Amino acid sequence: MIILDQLTKRFGAQTAVDSLSFEVPAGQIVGFLGPNGAGKSTTLKMLTGMIEPSGGRATVCGHDLQREPIEVKRNVGFVPESGAVFESLTGLEYLEMVAALYRIPQNAARARIKQFIAFFDLSFETLTDKLLGAYSKGMRRKVVITSALLHNPPVVFFDEPLDGLDANAAVGFKALIQTLAREGKTIVYSSHILDVVERVCHRVIIIDKGKLLLDGKPDELVAAHQAGTLEKLFTQLTGGAELERRAEDFARTFRP
Amino acid sequence: MSESEPSLPPILPELVPAPERTLRRLFLTLFLRGRGARGLNKQGAPKSVGQKLALSLLLYLLFGCMALFFLHQPVFALAVYLHAMTFVFLGMFVASSAGEVLFNKEESDILLHRPVTPQAMLWAKIRVLVEVSLWLAGAFNLVGLFVGFGSAGNWRFPIVHLFSTALEALFCTGCVVLVYQLCLRWFGRERLEGLMTIAQVIVSVTAVLAGQILPQIVLRMGHVLNVSEVSWWFNLLPPAWFAGFDDAFSGSALLGSWVLAALAVGVTALVLWVAFMKLARDYETGLQALNETVSTRVRKRNHRRWLDWLVNVPPLSWWLRDPVARASFLLTAAYLIRDRDVKLRVYPGIAPVLILPFIFLLQNHHHGVSDAPGFGVPFSGIYLGMVPLFGLQLLQYSQQWQASDIFRVAPISGPAQLSHGARRAVLCLLAVPLLLLVGLMVWLMVGNLSQLVLFLPGLISLPVFALIPALGGYGVPLSRPTDAAKSASRGLNMMLVMVVAFGLAQLASISWSQGWFGWLILSETVVAVGVYSILRLAVARKRWTADE
Repeated sequence: MIILDQLTKRFGAQTAVDSLSFEVPAGQIVGFLGPNGAGKSTTLKMLTGMIEPSGGRATVCGHDLQREPIEVKRNVGFVPESGAVFESLTGLEYLEMVAALYRIPQNAARARIKQFIAFFDLSFETLTDKLLGAYSKGMRRKVVITSALLHNPPVVFFDEPLDGLDANAAVGFKALIQTLAREGKTIVYSSHILDVVERVCHRVIIIDKGKLLLDGKPDELVAAHQAGTLEKLFTQLTGGAELERRAEDFARTFRP
Repeated sequence: MSESEPSLPPILPELVPAPERTLRRLFLTLFLRGRGARGLNKQGAPKSVGQKLALSLLLYLLFGCMALFFLHQPVFALAVYLHAMTFVFLGMFVASSAGEVLFNKEESDILLHRPVTPQAMLWAKIRVLVEVSLWLAGAFNLVGLFVGFGSAGNWRFPIVHLFSTALEALFCTGCVVLVYQLCLRWFGRERLEGLMTIAQVIVSVTAVLAGQILPQIVLRMGHVLNVSEVSWWFNLLPPAWFAGFDDAFSGSALLGSWVLAALAVGVTALVLWVAFMKLARDYETGLQALNETVSTRVRKRNHRRWLDWLVNVPPLSWWLRDPVARASFLLTAAYLIRDRDVKLRVYPGIAPVLILPFIFLLQNHHHGVSDAPGFGVPFSGIYLGMVPLFGLQLLQYSQQWQASDIFRVAPISGPAQLSHGARRAVLCLLAVPLLLLVGLMVWLMVGNLSQLVLFLPGLISLPVFALIPALGGYGVPLSRPTDAAKSASRGLNMMLVMVVAFGLAQLASISWSQGWFGWLILSETVVAVGVYSILRLAVARKRWTADE
């Protein structure tokens, strides 16, 4: 469903994504991990057609990223880390605007929006009367997730989707993406909350400094590296092994 | 769902508008509602787009009534005035909006992964900018059309002027878009933000100044304003081209008018072709560049360095001994230098302060009064004394107002030191440079340096005026949402202060001519010291209140 072949992105002299290659089949949830500045968001932005790759190629649902960017965009949903929305629109105006960009008829869009409202426990009044600027962070995130799934895309990219969601909404969301994967959707899930990734994802890909470090099933990788948990494996791989000791040393500096 | 469900608004029969239409509607809504709702706890239904537009049009229509002063002027004079003012208003409007409309970072996160092309986005935005420009230009020129028709019974003027105004609106929008495209092409993303800010501030300040001064100049020279008699440099100004268009088709029809008309059409076509066709591809690159999270080089923050140096050397190091005041000074100074939103509010807001002194000085100059200072010089001084007041009023608003929670979380009992830091930053960065500028203006226009002593009443009252915001509870910088800037009570306060300023200036002028100016200064100093001490005490005693 998603194929990356030597995908590269350079910003001037700096290489943000360095010859990244992997494939993701349909129905799989892939945890896409890496420390800050590893190149995760840049990769996701390339795969959603937001920025052009500097080298290599990629296909999404059989469509070449550089030759058929609009077809790629039609087939993907994306929840960006920023959770940006047009704050001077109401929730309903925003979602209807998004639906129109995917050419979803207005009646069908309304019906679909109603289903999402029910799933996320949002009130109609909030959606129709309040500007998005007045929404709480969690409510806004629910609207962004709705806008990513409204057109029923076969491939969905999530960048820190749980940010701002309350515990109940987070549980509901995790169940939702697992069910979506069983229905055949491909999900790329980027997050720093590693225990969630360990529980939800079928496979994890860890990158650092734009390069692929590790790719496999979470339990198998943890066992192979005798790390105990995915979190420990992650810190081992990305140079965070010394973190606990450094934190202890630093905490001592707070002593009066 | 447990809540009662009011029915959703009714929908029209099954329609799937083209993405281009959807985008145009989206950008028009965003444009008219603004992005000021960000972070506000704005309950209730959103404002109606129609109402907001109608209000803007009404305001422009009212401004347009000034054309009535040109009832008996020749077509060229009326056309010059109308086009010059349209150019000023539209230039200011498009320049202040275009950057945000064309290159919005958040927007790329929302739209660039949707199935729309950047070209479609660009065209939708241009369409909205042109559309709104045309409405505003139409509203502003409406009265002028009747004036042109009524002055000489010239039935062709309204038709020709409507066409030339539309052309001018296209020219203005095209120019601004072109500037952004060229900035992007020549300087890249790294410097785009800074350049956009500088360009916007310059255009806005120029527009505010020109908007105030231009009508006076055109009114003064209206009766001699003829296309065959104006200076050569006048023909280089874009409003003159469009006025020439009007004059060619509905006025004198002299050869000069036809040349200007040809320039209007030719230059507009060229600008539109370059901005909207030739450089359209650069827009896509620019939008994508906004998404780049990796910076290629670390920008040098030279102004931060000189600010640090400034607060560490006397006299500022003595003046900013309190660490809270010092931090507030640095924060305020940084925003006055860097933040686009603050700069666009503060500098054009302060610009009119220069206008009234200029007009009074111009009147003095015009009447050839050199020994008697009249009202101009003392009024300039006192008006300048109010700069910190205006500046601090405007500085309390910011899009990042929520970050000011840190002031209340910090262990400081009240806003006094924060207000003092902001006040001192405004004094150093706004009041002192403006004082030097107006001093130079007085010297050039009055030609008598001794009259600068008439600035003293203003300088003495300056510290008192500067404390008023802190006393009124609006001296904490960047602590209120931008939407709150529309408060009506603020205008009333300013009016009261202006009445005091007028009174004091009048007193200074009379005392100078009657020979008791020294006594006035002495007594003003005594009163100012007393009032200042009381105000300082009151500000120091202020504690945080719920609305700060």
